[in-house]
Amino acid sequence: MTGALTNTVAEAMPAFTGYVYPNEATAHPIWSVLIVVYPYITGLVAGAFIMASLVRVFKVKALEPVYRFSMLTALAFLLCAPLPLLCHLGHPERCFEIMMTPHLTSPMAVFGFVYAWYLMAVLLLELWFDYRHDLVVWSKTETGLKGILYRLLTVGVTDISEPAVKLDARMGQILSIVGIPSAFLLHGYVGFIFGSIKANPWWGNPLMPIIFILSAMSSGIALCVFNYLALTWIRRRQVDMRCLDAMAMFLFYALVVDAAVEALDWLHRAFAAEEGFQVLQVMIREKLFYTLNVGQAAIGTLLPFLLLGSLQLLRRRVPELVRRRMIFSSAVMILAGVLAMRWNVVMGGQLFSKSLRGVMSHKFEFTGGEGWGMSLFLLILPFVILTVLVKLFYSERLPASEPAAQAGGAA
Amino acid sequence: MRRFRLPPQILRLVLLTLAIVGSYLVARTLLTPQSFGQYGWYRGDALGEIASRTPVFAGAKACAECHTDVAQKLAHSEHKTVACEACHGANREHAFNHDVAPLKVPDSYCLRCHEANPSRPKWFKQIVVKEHYGVTCTDCHLPHQPTQTP
Amino acid sequence: MKTQLNRRYALVRLGAAIAGVLTLPVARKAKAAVQNFFVSSGAPKDYDATEHKWLMCLDATKCIGCGLCAEACKKENDVPPGPYYRTWVERYIITKPKPGSSDTRGETLVDSPDGGMHGFSGCPVPTAQIEQSFFVPKLCNLCENPPCVQVCPVGATFKAPDGAVLIDKTYCLGCGFCIQACPYGARFLSPVTHTAEKCTLCYHRTTRGLKPACVEICPAQARIFGDLKNLTPDDPLRQFYENNRTQVLKPHLGTVPRVLYAGLDEEVR
Repeated sequence: MTGALTNTVAEAMPAFTGYVYPNEATAHPIWSVLIVVYPYITGLVAGAFIMASLVRVFKVKALEPVYRFSMLTALAFLLCAPLPLLCHLGHPERCFEIMMTPHLTSPMAVFGFVYAWYLMAVLLLELWFDYRHDLVVWSKTETGLKGILYRLLTVGVTDISEPAVKLDARMGQILSIVGIPSAFLLHGYVGFIFGSIKANPWWGNPLMPIIFILSAMSSGIALCVFNYLALTWIRRRQVDMRCLDAMAMFLFYALVVDAAVEALDWLHRAFAAEEGFQVLQVMIREKLFYTLNVGQAAIGTLLPFLLLGSLQLLRRRVPELVRRRMIFSSAVMILAGVLAMRWNVVMGGQLFSKSLRGVMSHKFEFTGGEGWGMSLFLLILPFVILTVLVKLFYSERLPASEPAAQAGGAA
Repeated sequence: MRRFRLPPQILRLVLLTLAIVGSYLVARTLLTPQSFGQYGWYRGDALGEIASRTPVFAGAKACAECHTDVAQKLAHSEHKTVACEACHGANREHAFNHDVAPLKVPDSYCLRCHEANPSRPKWFKQIVVKEHYGVTCTDCHLPHQPTQTP
Repeated sequence: MKTQLNRRYALVRLGAAIAGVLTLPVARKAKAAVQNFFVSSGAPKDYDATEHKWLMCLDATKCIGCGLCAEACKKENDVPPGPYYRTWVERYIITKPKPGSSDTRGETLVDSPDGGMHGFSGCPVPTAQIEQSFFVPKLCNLCENPPCVQVCPVGATFKAPDGAVLIDKTYCLGCGFCIQACPYGARFLSPVTHTAEKCTLCYHRTTRGLKPACVEICPAQARIFGDLKNLTPDDPLRQFYENNRTQVLKPHLGTVPRVLYAGLDEEVR
């Protein structure tokens, strides 16, 4: 081996302690920060959608004001969901293979179909039925590019008579019901990707899809809270406290269930103390100390639990402004905590060796297709798209379609 | 009885769905490789492609075709399990074109296997270099007949 | 009104049929052109994958840790320099228990410097403190129930009819799922091809009647290679599994690894 080559090897070999399989000693993990971002985004989608479904399926009237906004949030984030995957693939130009020859023994193979189904048959369709009446009205009154867009979206149907609008509401409700298991599938399959890997004791666990779905729900509701408060602040509007309090209540209970199942996972690991437990302890202590104890547990779970829990007990005695601040900060902390949780799951599984004898150190760069910069961009992009969607579809001139809401309530 | 009429928005959606599913099915037949599914859920042609790589090592049998005398000596010595290219390196080019010179064996190459190491099996012949006469290996050993002296 | 609708439907149907007939040859040509993109040129034409079942077994009692196998593999298969190995050698040093303790063994140190491809010079533990020490060569375990094949989303990695687990370089997306799923660390993501890579049992050699490079080069007969469908009575492979008590790596995972080891120890993972 020449001297130059030896230097390359020395540079390529990062630090690791103990023993790792030679193939595991790479400078970068196989699944990078982008694979932390992807489940985070689909989780937000699933959570926001489930919260919107609370209005249509479980008839929670208090959440009506945020129904449309939650659906638009889900759409904005769903449109960005495939991007981290494309950036991560070694050969993104071959991505279509997953739809052409899906290997059905692999959980990853369902991505193309689940995504297409959820985007087109659930989210876009439900949005379309909810907006159809308004789209027809706007297509007649708007001009220019916007007008063309609205006319296209009506798909040539201009019937907004009473029975047609009633049908729209009915279809919207059916799609909401269908959408709940679809949302679970959209995000649950990601959890199953990790949960199915028996080779990895940090991942291979039947609780993994459930934990993913539950943390998705709390992060999705937190996102809706955050977005709602941000939007009302930008538009200088009055916050509907009944709506906000309802969201905070659902957020609290989602957090409680999520924390309970995650705690169950840890309890079981500690109790059974199987073969990999020792190296996992080392890995957590050396690599995940801050992201797990501070990020996920303290900031992401304990603090919001205390804040939101106290609100559930003392709601009437807490003045409105203080309540808003508490709910907002809880939402932000939960959003950060769930991102930390995704990091802990994805990176944690790659920071210890499958020989169960060593712990790796990986380098994380800012630049490059898989660096921090790209992850930040992909997390900001959905908000940009949401702004565009809000400008186009969340008009203040036309109130949230009331005939449809009434029909939906009566149905 | 009134003829059942599909509401216009549903009809448009059904047509749109058929168009999307139809174009997916067409794309699928166009873009799936021909040999896919020949032996299993993979491209059958891949087997041929992987096998078409040119080997780098010639193999001891190829060396023995010309170097019969050395191969004979080797076959009756302790080194009978050692392949020619283990010491002489990958010499496939030389096997196909005798004008290409074979690779030289570095002087202390024997130590690669025979340097004393506590992890090596106890029955394996190993030497502690410092305590072993301090000369070049080939001064006392013939590589192809290691227990015979030159 | 009814006859008008009937006529309209009939015209639409007729038009669709004509359009279909006209576009058929065009569609066929387009399909062939697209699929030619994927069709490859062949390799050894007289090799039938269904007539062989290759297996490699490892005798860890014979391995001398020279690392010539790991080095030869890198050369034979053009493996990129760095932490990328299709086969490697591990060294296990089991130390004596601390004086006064009632343990049977002390600490176990495992290492594999550069995958062992330059050998193992020196020893981190003084000989007097070593209770057991040995080498274990590692490679793809040719699982009967390979988790890597199970998780590939597109069918780019597969178990060939002759027992090798291979990767279709032109089809692999580089998603990395198979690398995560392999319990033995046998796979890696190539920085050159941006696809997964692993030991191919030197498929390009075995299909030509040659032995894999690591088997060819091993001076200690620690690697035993053969064809389970064409065994001679004195085949070294048959002698190996008939005369040795064999083990496999990580049997509890249900991957059913076919690569048999002799001379493993409880410390080997």
